[in-house]
Amino acid sequence: MTRVVEVPAQFDDRSFDQFAEAYGDGDGGRLLFDAHASHWASPFGLVGLLAAGQAQAEGKRERPLLTLPADRDVAHYWTRAGFFRHATDYFELHGKVPRVTAGGESDVLLEVTPVRAAEDVHGVVDRIQERAARILSHELGLEAQATMGFAMALSEACQNIVEHAGTGGWVAVQTYNWRRTLKRRVVVIAVADAGIGFRRSLEATQAKRYGDRWSDATALEAALVQGISRFRDPGRGQGLAGIRRYLNRWEGKLAVRSGTARWGLVPPWDDDVPLAHGLPAFPGSQVLMIIPAHAGDGAGHATH
Amino acid sequence: MQRIDLNDILQRTVSAANGDLVTRRTGQRVRAAIELELGAEHDGHVAGLDFGTVRCLDLSCADEIVGRLLREHGEARFVLLNVTAAQRDAIEFVLERHRLAVVVQDAGGALDVVGAVPEPARDVFGALVAGGALAPEEVARRLGLSSEVVRAALDALRERHLVQDTAGAYCAPAVA
Repeated sequence: MTRVVEVPAQFDDRSFDQFAEAYGDGDGGRLLFDAHASHWASPFGLVGLLAAGQAQAEGKRERPLLTLPADRDVAHYWTRAGFFRHATDYFELHGKVPRVTAGGESDVLLEVTPVRAAEDVHGVVDRIQERAARILSHELGLEAQATMGFAMALSEACQNIVEHAGTGGWVAVQTYNWRRTLKRRVVVIAVADAGIGFRRSLEATQAKRYGDRWSDATALEAALVQGISRFRDPGRGQGLAGIRRYLNRWEGKLAVRSGTARWGLVPPWDDDVPLAHGLPAFPGSQVLMIIPAHAGDGAGHATH
Repeated sequence: MQRIDLNDILQRTVSAANGDLVTRRTGQRVRAAIELELGAEHDGHVAGLDFGTVRCLDLSCADEIVGRLLREHGEARFVLLNVTAAQRDAIEFVLERHRLAVVVQDAGGALDVVGAVPEPARDVFGALVAGGALAPEEVARRLGLSSEVVRAALDALRERHLVQDTAGAYCAPAVA
């Protein structure tokens, strides 16, 4: 029996809960991820879809099917974003993967890239630096200090996969126009894995302290607000705090989804909620970082 | 002063590196290599960690390299050289958490103190950098602070070896 998991037509962090609900626990026969009606997928959607495929593989379930977007421009973008290069490892693809010729300007700062070890993080940081510096300063009008902290935030987000997920994950970076509320250009970093998630990662050291309140939501709060790590070393737990500080300074957004909860650093231009719980469960952790272009004249200035 | 080029150590210890001090594992390896170099000199004098050819410094590396070195060997043992604004940001974030501080010099040669240092002490340090060796009363006059506040700040900085005291005049450390 094949169970259909519909990929939302507009697949981003907002529709991810809908996707997670459709995915369920990943059981119930062979899964068919149906993306034929997709007309937009953000980096968050693409790495999240890969995480779903990864979860199926690591759960030793039957290799799922994936129907490609029917819209050739959409399929073309998914190719340029590097999605299909890795999707073939986890999905049986239905539809023709478009060929993409290299070169030319692109909104894709970093194609979908696997992260499994420290070497991968080095590779990601190396590839992103020059392009990010150019785009953050010229396209988004941000100060030099914003571009320098960008690589730091990207490195720390990727390291959470290596240090805590218990498996590999994915990262992708892209710029686009955020039409919904901001109406400005943004750069988006999306990091996803289908690992153990925050709750299981912190369970051994924190669950007893929280008692009945221990949950995906309290685990996120412990990590993101209190800076708690599963490692006892006093220097641990700074990565997410550093990302928060960086994004807060540049009026950016941070959202971390794990299990059934999502925690957010929500800037004035966004209408998300700081903490959502009781969400449809999804394996692992998914991180979204958005840095907006500066509004108005001249270079963007930090807010402290 | 013993000068340790961090990018040089990075290239020797991590094959995948391209001038980026990122990841905790890289930080651990670089720190171990620094400690080997420190041990070889056997003099216990101040060592300068040169960030001049380092590109990105993430918080994990800042913690492993600067945070742990200062924690285990003492704040007085190190000066950070050729530190960019972004690197300083990462270092300050880490040191505040550890309640440590260190003297840094930027590429232009300007000295400052970074980390867990209260505001009056930062201002006092700045006055010494600008004015050379100064008596506490002169620092107080220049900053418009009371002598008590200045003396307390200087005592705190001296105890942490962030300033030097020579016959009643205080000065920032000399960075060769």
